[in-house]
Amino acid sequence: MAAAALWAASLPAQEFTLGSKVGDFGLRDVKGAPVAFEKLKGRVTVIGFIATQCPISNDYNERMKALYTDYSPRGVRFVFINSNHTEPAAEVEEHAGKNGFPFPVYKDDNNVVADRFGAQLTPEVFVLDAGGVIRYHGAIDDSRVAARIKAHHLRKSLDALLAGQSVAPADTRAFGCTIKRVKKTS
Amino acid sequence: MKRRSLLALLWTPATALRAQPRVAPLNEAGYRKLVTAGRGQVLLVDFWATWCQPCRAELPLLVRLEAKYRGQGLKLVTISCDEPEQEGDAARFLRQHGVPGPLRIKRPANDDQFISSVDAAWSGALPALFLYDRLGRRVRSLIGETDMAALEAALRKVL
Repeated sequence: MAAAALWAASLPAQEFTLGSKVGDFGLRDVKGAPVAFEKLKGRVTVIGFIATQCPISNDYNERMKALYTDYSPRGVRFVFINSNHTEPAAEVEEHAGKNGFPFPVYKDDNNVVADRFGAQLTPEVFVLDAGGVIRYHGAIDDSRVAARIKAHHLRKSLDALLAGQSVAPADTRAFGCTIKRVKKTS
Repeated sequence: MKRRSLLALLWTPATALRAQPRVAPLNEAGYRKLVTAGRGQVLLVDFWATWCQPCRAELPLLVRLEAKYRGQGLKLVTISCDEPEQEGDAARFLRQHGVPGPLRIKRPANDDQFISSVDAAWSGALPALFLYDRLGRRVRSLIGETDMAALEAALRKVL
């Protein structure tokens, strides 16, 4: 219990939780231009925290492209975010180009957005409904190895939301690399 | 010719042993058993993976820390979170850094339950260190890149 308290105390303050409405937040595109989340969101919105150097996140590159290709025509918007202070915008741009991402990846300066979502890992996803309420949080699916996937969590949650149904499970355990946060003094 | 056959016979098993690491898969029961068996010592459990760069950077430091405090009762236990495809790499990495014993590897039937059973507040993120006192009680969880000074201070308190 004491250990749990210690770990909880070391977490940054989380503002958005499952079932709560996500307020606006700011990102930057890879050229440094500010972008407001309000301009990016859609009928259903996927917010995905990803990385350039994390091998687990990179294992999902093709799956993220497939998700984008399959669900964008159905009105789902994808907002991929890199919050790692160790991965600068130029690296994010190069990584996206090298991997043929059909979607932009935004930078989250000082991991402010990751803190507000309580995101800890890459990859880690949040799905918002039309009202901006978080309806799913967690992993994209249940295996790093595509051949061993048994549960397509993100696809299932998107299908449910697009069909006007509730999402189950709404919360799964994301797995991957820790987000490399800036050290904050206060 | 006979001599060559004999050499081949002598060589093959050793090579096979080197190529196939001794793997100790761990589920929840196995983990509990491991912690129970560690009573009387201070146990530092390190969950790591070959793909986790901070884990690879930390492991040699943990090995050094164990060597420094072994006489006072510290025991380091490493548990790999690698996929079956990486078992060979994981075993090689441990050997390179002088970690003895089998390759302990996390293989529960349900990963969520296993992670929660270790520490309900742990997301499964790596590296993850769990410190147990001589009574087998978890006294500290360190998730993410480890502050080695803070770890050593915590260790000294428990030792």
